[in-house]
Amino acid sequence: MLPLEYDRSEDRDIIVRDRFDGFRREYLRTLVNPEVIEEHRQSALGQHSEKLERLLIYFRQRPLEQRYAVRAIEPFRRYQVVRLSGRRGVPPRLVDGAIYTSANDARHGLFLRCIRDLLET
Amino acid sequence: MAQIKIFGYADKISVKPGDTIQFHVSADGTSTAEAHLVRLIHGDEHPHGPGFIEEEIDCVANGTWQVEKQFTQVGSFLEVTDPDRKLALDGSITLCAFIWPTWPDVGHRQCLLGRWDNDRNHGYGLGINPSGRLEFWVGCGNEVDYLQAELPLQKQAWYFVAATFDARSGRATLHQEGVVNRYNSLLGKVAPVEYRSHVSEMFRFRQNNLPDTPFLVAGSRDWHALRGHFVSQLYCGKVDRCGVFDRALARAELDAIRAGGKPPSDGMVAYWDTTKGYTDRGIGDLVVDIGPNRLDARGYNRPVRAQTGYNWNGRNDCFRLAPDQYGGIEFHADAMIDSNWKATKTLELPETLRSGAYAMRVRGGDGAGLAEEYIVFFVRPRMPTARIALLFSTATYLAYANERFATDGQIVQPMAGQPPTISEVDIEIYENPEFGAGCYDTHADGAGVCYTSYRRPMVNMRPKYRIAAFDLPWNFPADLSILAWLEHKGYDYDVLTDEDVHLEGVAAMAPYACILNSTHPEYHSERMLDAHEDYIAGGGRFICMGANSFCCNVAFREDEPWIMECRKTGGHWIAWAARSGEYYLATTGQMGGIWTGFQRWGQKLVGNTFAGEGFAHSQPYRRMPDSYDPALAWITEGIEGETIGDFGLGNGGAAGIEIDCYKLGFGTPPNTKIIASSGGHPDNYIAHDEEGAHAHQGFSGTHNYILRADMVYFEAPNNGAVFATGSIAFGSALPIHGFENNVSRLLSNVVDAFVRPGPLPGSSNRPRENTGRLEPVGP
Ligand SMILES: [Fe+2]
Repeated sequence: MLPLEYDRSEDRDIIVRDRFDGFRREYLRTLVNPEVIEEHRQSALGQHSEKLERLLIYFRQRPLEQRYAVRAIEPFRRYQVVRLSGRRGVPPRLVDGAIYTSANDARHGLFLRCIRDLLET
Repeated sequence: MAQIKIFGYADKISVKPGDTIQFHVSADGTSTAEAHLVRLIHGDEHPHGPGFIEEEIDCVANGTWQVEKQFTQVGSFLEVTDPDRKLALDGSITLCAFIWPTWPDVGHRQCLLGRWDNDRNHGYGLGINPSGRLEFWVGCGNEVDYLQAELPLQKQAWYFVAATFDARSGRATLHQEGVVNRYNSLLGKVAPVEYRSHVSEMFRFRQNNLPDTPFLVAGSRDWHALRGHFVSQLYCGKVDRCGVFDRALARAELDAIRAGGKPPSDGMVAYWDTTKGYTDRGIGDLVVDIGPNRLDARGYNRPVRAQTGYNWNGRNDCFRLAPDQYGGIEFHADAMIDSNWKATKTLELPETLRSGAYAMRVRGGDGAGLAEEYIVFFVRPRMPTARIALLFSTATYLAYANERFATDGQIVQPMAGQPPTISEVDIEIYENPEFGAGCYDTHADGAGVCYTSYRRPMVNMRPKYRIAAFDLPWNFPADLSILAWLEHKGYDYDVLTDEDVHLEGVAAMAPYACILNSTHPEYHSERMLDAHEDYIAGGGRFICMGANSFCCNVAFREDEPWIMECRKTGGHWIAWAARSGEYYLATTGQMGGIWTGFQRWGQKLVGNTFAGEGFAHSQPYRRMPDSYDPALAWITEGIEGETIGDFGLGNGGAAGIEIDCYKLGFGTPPNTKIIASSGGHPDNYIAHDEEGAHAHQGFSGTHNYILRADMVYFEAPNNGAVFATGSIAFGSALPIHGFENNVSRLLSNVVDAFVRPGPLPGSSNRPRENTGRLEPVGP
């Protein structure tokens, strides 16, 4: 349970959302295992197992400023992973120097970063 | 050296050989660019297809162009025509208005109304200061006196505000009163919010007016060394009736105006009755002054009319029913419907151009990345010659223009079933509001964007572009796969655009025996929809190539076909929702939203329409029993096996991205047959159930048979016929294996049958002939 003084906005909805996500993360962490990660590596798009779908739905629902995106440097050849700013006018920023040679590889790199964030919080 | 960036647009989207077209280009980091006319053939660079294909065309405009940085005025406002400077008031004054601010706390000054020079500090203004409070100010050049209200304005609340200034005594007074009723504002009576503020102060001096300052509503004049004059201090929110007097009105007089009384004529210099001049067929840009000087105001960047006013009481939902309650004019600091750049080049198109999709390719420096622009336009023949026409969905291109889903859309990743794949140009338009938005975006103040235009760079109406949210070629670049297929197959075809069909109606379609439209024919004005219906009913043969077909209702003004209005309402698959009471198109007075709301489902026209969308993964079609009916076997002739289109540049299948299905209850003609159908799409495909059902578990792809693309066929009166693919991904399957595959074969079977004069193959029990037969089609 989060402390009551956790209060950073006039919008109390954010407090509820964050607590909900706290519970949700607790459960989602139990779903992470090597099979799920391998499943995503093999197929980043399309229908997945229940466990992987749950994780992906959570990652895709993050507030914009917590989301990652793939950056196409050269379509079909070179990609990177960036983090969105969530603020119009502010460009996404690079998260690391890794270069991927396919969009799906980059999607998987992005997925691993989401998994790491999930396990660390 | 600065990075080279080239952006441009043309003044027309549809032209004929011999027509004159103007190109407007802005360049960063270079003063010259290499221009070349090209005919576009294929736009998807996916390695499983033929890649990007263009054909260079000789023309006199090819060569080196002088280019320069051009500036764009963003933001909507009203400018008053005041040649006799009646509003250059140097003495006593009253300014008053009803206002509904949407972003009072944006953090910079917003001018509501005034004759104010923001660069030289001359004149007077009433506005909202950086702390979100109402403020009145006068300036004499070296000094400005300000008077601010005691408390900040509430967002989305109607106020009556006024400033009076008695020049003799120097007393300035601000009046701020809420005019909130049960319907018109965000909050109701139970919220303990203070709206009222009345403050007064002695000013040290009188205002001094410059001769050429314009009187503006929702902005003020500014100046920049490179740009010259422009408008800044742009306001976000609505203004209802407002006026200017050359004396300080008494409190009782202001209270009477607030109560809805007639404004006093004594001292009235101008009073803009924002509800004046409405017609049953729409509202223009002119805002009428009912005062003695007839100082009418004109909207720039299309302020949104037909919005609810301060006295809207919830009984009526349209300005046509209660114009007096629809005086709201809504302004946005980032509205933009015309870049208004100087023309860089004017070209008389060669008489020898064949009909097709063209672009002026403009490259600066090495032409890499943002240093390359394709300014796309479509060339029709001077006289139709082919039996086939390819109809490009320019209304859809307008709707999606410069969309910022990937960077701004909260719901887009769950819809898309993937993270976005962002390219350099997506970041460029995210950083820079000068590109303007499309009807899938919201303004920075949160309101949906209801006007879009092609007189500005449209970075996604280009070959090679991939939409970031879905990592697919989208609309125009995807539609080129259909054009490339026609080229590959050697069909003789002309091109048409939505604009032609809107302007000319069925006459634009009638010369063709067979018309194929595009991958995403979503947006249609009433005239366009009528033209399609008349074409098919009159014996035309129509191939609906895409999905999400014929869903949305939009409007164009007769004299400005480059600007489209779209109000999002109805259905639960819209990018934003029009506010209560603001569903009607100011352009025509017709209700906006989806055609479903008018009993004109897409099914009624082409047999199928929107089932749902999911984007990340496509499926094949499986043949249905109707395809084995001997009377229909010609459609699948030469196709082996049960599966059609288990390949494609659009996520590996011919059925997917957005998908349409058959539905008798929505007017699918009863003689319609389902030739093939998909299904089992992933669960990020969600059904767009238009029957008003509750959303519930089991709405999604793997649980719901409704989520499918139906390939349908029916015969229409007078030897007309429709074949509809029901899938956006269909067109992107055509180029696989050098255009030789079962999707391509099936489409050839249909096109070949459709262009052949006389009855359709297998047509034994054709439906009754209609009387509205078209003139014989084709050459
Ligand atoms: Fe669409």
